[in-house]
Amino acid sequence: MMSMTFLLTSCWSKKELTDLAIVAAMGVDKTKDGRYHLTLQIINPGNVAGGMVGGGGTQSPPVTIYSASGDNLVEASRRASGRISRRLYYAHTNLVVVGEKMAREEGLNTLIDAFDRDPEFRNTSTLVIANHSTAADLVKTLTPVDKIPANKVLKTLEFTERKWGENVKTSLQEVMKSLESPGRGTVVSGFRLVGNPQQAQKLDNLQESEPEATLRASGIAVLKQGKLVDWLYGKPARGTVWILDKIQGTDINIDWEGRKEVIAYQTVRQKTSVSAQVKNGKPHISVHTRVEGDISEMEVPVDITNPKVITKIEQSVRKEIKKELRKAIERAQKNKTDILGFGEVVHRTRPNQFKKLKTEWNDVYFPKLDVDITVEAYVRRAGLRNKSFLSGVKENQK
Amino acid sequence: MEKAKISASQLFILMVLFELGSALLVPLAIDAKQDAWLAILLGMVFSFVLLLIYHKLYTYYPNLLPTEYMQRILGKVLGTALAFVYILYFMYDASRVLRDFGEMLLTFAYPDTPLFIANALLMLVIIYTIRKGIEVIARSGELLFIFMYVLAIAGFILIVSSGLIEIKNLQPILEEGLFPVLKVVFTQTLYFPFTEVIVFTMIFPYLNNPKKAKVTMLCASGLSGINLIITMLINVSVLGVDLTARSQYPLLSTIESIQVANFLERLDVFFMLALIITIFFKICVLFYAAVVGTASLFKVKSPSRLSYPLGLIILFLSITIASNVQEHNHEGLKVAMFTIHIPLLGLIPPLLLLVAFFKNRKKHGKNTFN
Repeated sequence: MMSMTFLLTSCWSKKELTDLAIVAAMGVDKTKDGRYHLTLQIINPGNVAGGMVGGGGTQSPPVTIYSASGDNLVEASRRASGRISRRLYYAHTNLVVVGEKMAREEGLNTLIDAFDRDPEFRNTSTLVIANHSTAADLVKTLTPVDKIPANKVLKTLEFTERKWGENVKTSLQEVMKSLESPGRGTVVSGFRLVGNPQQAQKLDNLQESEPEATLRASGIAVLKQGKLVDWLYGKPARGTVWILDKIQGTDINIDWEGRKEVIAYQTVRQKTSVSAQVKNGKPHISVHTRVEGDISEMEVPVDITNPKVITKIEQSVRKEIKKELRKAIERAQKNKTDILGFGEVVHRTRPNQFKKLKTEWNDVYFPKLDVDITVEAYVRRAGLRNKSFLSGVKENQK
Repeated sequence: MEKAKISASQLFILMVLFELGSALLVPLAIDAKQDAWLAILLGMVFSFVLLLIYHKLYTYYPNLLPTEYMQRILGKVLGTALAFVYILYFMYDASRVLRDFGEMLLTFAYPDTPLFIANALLMLVIIYTIRKGIEVIARSGELLFIFMYVLAIAGFILIVSSGLIEIKNLQPILEEGLFPVLKVVFTQTLYFPFTEVIVFTMIFPYLNNPKKAKVTMLCASGLSGINLIITMLINVSVLGVDLTARSQYPLLSTIESIQVANFLERLDVFFMLALIITIFFKICVLFYAAVVGTASLFKVKSPSRLSYPLGLIILFLSITIASNVQEHNHEGLKVAMFTIHIPLLGLIPPLLLLVAFFKNRKKHGKNTFN
């Protein structure tokens, strides 16, 4: 018993905290000669904490960038150890950025295995494609407010997905699952560096109230067989997020009495379901959405104390949402990429028929698909006031 | 045989922990794709037939170990040989489970530690437990069983509350028809883990209330079967079929996916604790059966003395059994399944029962005739 206690106290592969280089984000690009270029964003622990307490006492940035190339990711990562005084520690890597060029030319399929296999790396980390830039530039950018750029990217995606809905936050695991699924296109979040990449790396950039170079969520990347084929922005993007049932809250503007986009409707909760039928070997998809929300702004005199007016508003909201969903579907059909998961629905509900459709789903069946859209929209509340301010103004001027 | 008694509830607990054992670890029945749960369910149901056969044998000889009654049934030479084969099987199975344990630790948490050290540390604890006898194993089972279920329920609640479960992943049910599922049932799930409980026939004679053996056995199989079904349902619905099939340890990947409220995450330790507990008991029971079997076969007076030599054999066997994980898994699923599990668990016991039935009827008949 005594000897066993000695055995149990051993620390075989101990890792002291002071010997770890915590990788916050990781960027992957392709070099000209076809090798992987890895950019690692490593946290400078002292500077993160110091900046928060002392109010910017430190002169060096909160993160340091190291990079290395290799024929595969593991080689690149091991090579990088020649430049870093500590052991690279990937357990806290929450962000993986892939450069646009790499995503377009080579695709993501070859990258996935290294991330998936490694026990230290987490599948829950977020995957982002750098929109119109290399992953390296995106990872190198310093950001205000959230000192660690990786956190800034993650939080931005999370909140914009929740509040606006033109972006999605996609984890590595989600992307992996959708890449694997037969006849399915994949969506990945996009992020963009606005401004000069050289400026973005400098601490000076943060000393202005309006930094010249910033990061922002931008677009949804559409992947076909792992390769980037299109970027979605604006309404098609939101429609896509909507059909994927990921919208949490967003704002929809409707026209009123000839004036464009004057009433703002904010959604509170929604539920979208997709169902499929197969008739004579032809698949048929129905999308059904149910939205509840509030009126949050009216720039025209409207008297919403009258329930009939509310019904009218609801109808316009329905039409507006339907238009958006239709746009998203048309865009996906034009790209010949089933990012909306319609194929999966057919597979689940009609497994036998799907076997015949599977191989040519994206190129033949999906673009010609008939899709029914039904929307139920309800206005539940209207904030603290009933009539519009303008209707009061209008009445008093009579 | 040592003079010890365990209660029916202790037997129940040991059996549940035993069956969960390494079955929680691996992608069980994933060859049946999204119908894995169905394959487990059917495996459980069909295993009841074999369990009843094991039990029937026990009722013929309630006070004898299987290694002893095999000699009664088949005669001295053949019975001894068969008993010896079963003892070897128990030891082989124990070393397989030990290897599973070591591989799990090394793959996931201790990449730089030699396999031998990981296995030896667990084996030392197990040898110590075996020396203390079946009562100690049973009592420690009672303690850790509760802990294990607290972990399981907490894990379940966390998985559900982090909204990871997508029932859609389980559809379509029976995509390829019933045949592939049945194939998996009869080549995999029926034997691993359900009828592996044949090892408990070595422990039945210690039961203080022999009448309860049957109910206990069926209930324990039922409960662990349901637990395994739930586990596999969750794995597939969280990870999807492809990822589950690619995972060495799908339950680990499932637990790693938990993210609740931005701070309850990386709960891998849940998985580790649960697996260490169940694997510990699985090896303990198999090893104990080997020890008492050997003692009765070779007329060793105190079985606990055998625990060191046999323990070392299991330890070394677990290292030499395969040179890498892939070979180990292949051996378990393809080779050992057909050469060892199916004959020893599925074919020989019914034959034994048949012989025992005729022998006992003859005896019984003679009595009435006189």
